Amino acid sequence: MSTLEKPRSEEGRVIRRPGPRETRPESAHRRRRTLEVSLAVAVPVVLVLLWQLAATQQWIDDRVYPAPSSIASDGWQRALDGELWPDVWATLKRVLAGYVIGTVAGYLLGLLMGALPLVRAALEPMMDALYVVPKLALLPIFLNMFGLGEGPQIALVAATVFFFVWISTMAAVLAVPEGHRDAGQVFGASHRQMFRHVLLPASLPAVLVGARIAAGVAVLVIVASESIAASDGLGHLIFDSRALFQNDVMFVGIVCVAILGVVFSELVRIAGRFLTPWAPRDRGRGQS
Amino acid sequence: MPKIRASGLTRTFGRGSHQLTALGPVELDVARGEFVCLVGPSGCGKSTLLRIAAGLLRPTTGELELRTDATHPAAMIFQDYGIYDWKTVLANVRFGLDIQRVPRKEADARAHEWLRRMGLSDFAGAYPAALSGGMRQRVAIARALAVEPEILLMDEPFAALDAQLRTILQDELLALTQSTSTTTLFITHSLEEALVLGDRVLVMSARPGRIIAERRPPFDRPRTGEVRSDPRFTALKDELWELLRDEVGQEAAVS
Repeated sequence: MSTLEKPRSEEGRVIRRPGPRETRPESAHRRRRTLEVSLAVAVPVVLVLLWQLAATQQWIDDRVYPAPSSIASDGWQRALDGELWPDVWATLKRVLAGYVIGTVAGYLLGLLMGALPLVRAALEPMMDALYVVPKLALLPIFLNMFGLGEGPQIALVAATVFFFVWISTMAAVLAVPEGHRDAGQVFGASHRQMFRHVLLPASLPAVLVGARIAAGVAVLVIVASESIAASDGLGHLIFDSRALFQNDVMFVGIVCVAILGVVFSELVRIAGRFLTPWAPRDRGRGQS
Repeated sequence: MPKIRASGLTRTFGRGSHQLTALGPVELDVARGEFVCLVGPSGCGKSTLLRIAAGLLRPTTGELELRTDATHPAAMIFQDYGIYDWKTVLANVRFGLDIQRVPRKEADARAHEWLRRMGLSDFAGAYPAALSGGMRQRVAIARALAVEPEILLMDEPFAALDAQLRTILQDELLALTQSTSTTTLFITHSLEEALVLGDRVLVMSARPGRIIAERRPPFDRPRTGEVRSDPRFTALKDELWELLRDEVGQEAAVS
């Protein structure tokens, strides 16, 4: 028996067959989405619960790290009393004003420098040098220029956003494939037409990525600058309440900043989807 | 017992109202050591079939069975080469062997041997960026064959090359595959290419791709590129084009 030749049919086999995604695409997709959403929710919830547990069990000093429940109730109370809104509103105004100015200026200069080699030759070394200067170091200059008040705060946000948008726009324009420019040139496109039909749309997806990163950084910078030179705003709230040993309030301020940053950059992302319907989505599509 | 057997194989992309059936149903048997060419209009699901065979994609229904004891019996050659810009020619060819943890010494020896057979010995230390398209595709072929795969899957490997280079590489591939007993699935747009290389030529329909005809080029093995001037070659090519023209026309009318 044992000496019999192994029949061919016992040779191994590799079988490519449908998986659950193929046999039940709808439910597999739904299950996958549910899993992704629950993970996205569960991870922060678990961390907050751990924090809560640590605070109530006195594993950490709840005067320094107040329990999430007391932060939440304190924040809720302040929101109801209307104490919170002036600071939120002050920060929001500065961020939006600075962001709009910085984005528009950065985009225009980025387009110019990307499209016109002479402008690039004239400005690039200087801009590169300015790019590496921490923008917070410019705050004293802006304070001298604009005095106290909204001016220096807005200028600082604008300067920060400007450099992010400028560099991503310039890189995007430079990365437009030669063939795209050539096709326009052969048809005799003018500079203006080349901008409108080729360079602008071709660079837009990359510009929007830069704009989204800049949105987050704008919030980051405003908090820093408000903590140094402002009498209101979330940055002022955070540092002021720490000085007064109101750690609850400090965390309320931090949470507000986080929410503001997420909402802001998400809005920019959604705007980007509408502005560039041709650009690929996060999710890849199947191909034949 | 066929090396590759597909039964009731289909593939659908997308969900709900965006659903698109790309392939099938396909029934297919490929014998051990056989060289099968698939021709068909663009978008007919040829590549989908190959990707299912390679294990890159699952079928929506049906199954495809490979007779083998290996877990990764297939090597694939892509149209855009798929070789890595950051590896030297030698390291590219050795890639599959490195993945399979072949000892470095033996891997180097086998890679060098394949470089020699592909006429690339002088370029072992060069990066792919320094090579021409034809040489890059030779690197890709060497990389696939260096692992001595039981099954070789080729997805329009010569489509990006000019006509002269194509002819040369076809002849080289003919010589290579006749010296090994690899089972090959070869996708191409070119009827000529299919007839020169294939033991069997399968014609696929417009989307969703099914196999609508099968021809066996009547040229003995080992054959050379000289079969191109055989009168039967031209006749068979015309016959296949008649079959294919309706399908291509259908595709053109739809899109």
